[in-house]
Amino acid sequence: MKRQRIKTITLRYFALVVLLAAAWQAQADDAKSPYPSMAPLEQYLMDQAAEIAMARSAAPASISGDADVMVLGRKGYETAVKGKNGFVCIVERSWTAGVDDPDFWNPKLRGPICFNRPAVQSYLPLTIRKTELILAGQSKAQMSDSINAAFEKKELPTPESGAMCYMMSKQGYLSDRGGRWHPHLMFFVPLTDAVTWGADLPGSPILAAKDSLDRLTIFMIPLPKWSDGTDEPMNAH
Amino acid sequence: MKGKTATGTAKGRTVRAIALRSFALVVLLAAAWRAQAEDAKSPYPGMAPIEQYLMDRDAEIDLARSAAPASISSDADVMVLGRKGYQTAVKGKNGFVCVVERSWMAPFDDPEFLNPDQRLPLCLNPPAARSHLPLTLKMTDLALAGLSKTQMFESIKAAFEKKELPLPEPGEVCYMMSKRQYFGRKYGNADPLMFWVPKTDDMFWGGGLPGSPVYVHQYSPEPITEFIVSVSKWSDGTAAPTD
Repeated sequence: MKRQRIKTITLRYFALVVLLAAAWQAQADDAKSPYPSMAPLEQYLMDQAAEIAMARSAAPASISGDADVMVLGRKGYETAVKGKNGFVCIVERSWTAGVDDPDFWNPKLRGPICFNRPAVQSYLPLTIRKTELILAGQSKAQMSDSINAAFEKKELPTPESGAMCYMMSKQGYLSDRGGRWHPHLMFFVPLTDAVTWGADLPGSPILAAKDSLDRLTIFMIPLPKWSDGTDEPMNAH
Repeated sequence: MKGKTATGTAKGRTVRAIALRSFALVVLLAAAWRAQAEDAKSPYPGMAPIEQYLMDRDAEIDLARSAAPASISSDADVMVLGRKGYQTAVKGKNGFVCVVERSWMAPFDDPEFLNPDQRLPLCLNPPAARSHLPLTLKMTDLALAGLSKTQMFESIKAAFEKKELPLPEPGEVCYMMSKRQYFGRKYGNADPLMFWVPKTDDMFWGGGLPGSPVYVHQYSPEPITEFIVSVSKWSDGTAAPTD
């Protein structure tokens, strides 16, 4: 009994050390990042008309012209334009990047994206929830905990079959390293290995990103054209 | 009164049933005649001699593998066409299956249907191998058994209705990036990835709209929608046309 108690105390102590070490590591990473914390909110906001135009630039006009458009306000995303084709276009901000991404608080980041119907139902709620938590003043760690808890309580869904989105905007700014990157499509699937789609292998046109916090794998297919029909230099891939 | 009415109704029903059956027969005959007439118009109204669809085994393995980058296809199963259907020629280890489809996998209304020159190398990921490959094998069996296009159509329709053929699974991907693919005279080559989903509308992925990088094909009679995304390189890494 006594031995068991000692084992329990030792285990708890060990867990505490691990937790503190992780928190310290996270803080150290943040301190190294050019964006260690959230900038004043104004730096993330945009003129509404400009945000609508940028959101729509994520997909060809034949898709985004009939989509809902949501814009970022001081408390979260609001619907600015009601559409009719089931797609929703928004401009994501930096906190939808991975928690270990150095651009997590980068106020310059703008990710125009148009979601299809299954993604609207199963991925957009995640973006909306993260945004509300951040704008309510939660830290990166608190936001992660809240998202984790929301998944545990099934308040957030896992990706539906066929969930995908367009990210073909020339106006986007996805990171300091990659700028606007390449026009691409993204497919959201419940956590799976990259090899299931043949992604990340030499010569494969498919890239994968596993996100354990968001409980999904994103498959990306770079495209040869931007949403306005202009060419993306092919040798850039 | 009640009985007389009942008798009258029964007689009326018989006449109506005969009329309906006659009408259905006329519609059926007209459809069959139309199908035959269309088949006659097609440059490939019937199956060519089987030899014209067959290939040298090594060449077929090589062509099948060219559907995807070597990092995928070299570890895949490879199936080749024989006189009685497809057989596994190479056992792989990554769950992908590469195969060269023939023209009986083209849409039924495609003028290239049964074109003996058509060669479409595909590499299917594991979910696609489970649910698309059975359709390829079934269609091949029907074609090699000498069924007409109409008979094949009806047989595939019935197989889906009886759930003998599976619907697409979530997460299906098919690589079709071979520079050596040959669709036929009507079409050029393409370098696509294909995704199959249970029948849905084109807007599900924004397919087929001006400027959209997603093309769409609605199968018939299969309850399947095919979304197609072109990429900018062939499987060998060389640049592909972007239009």
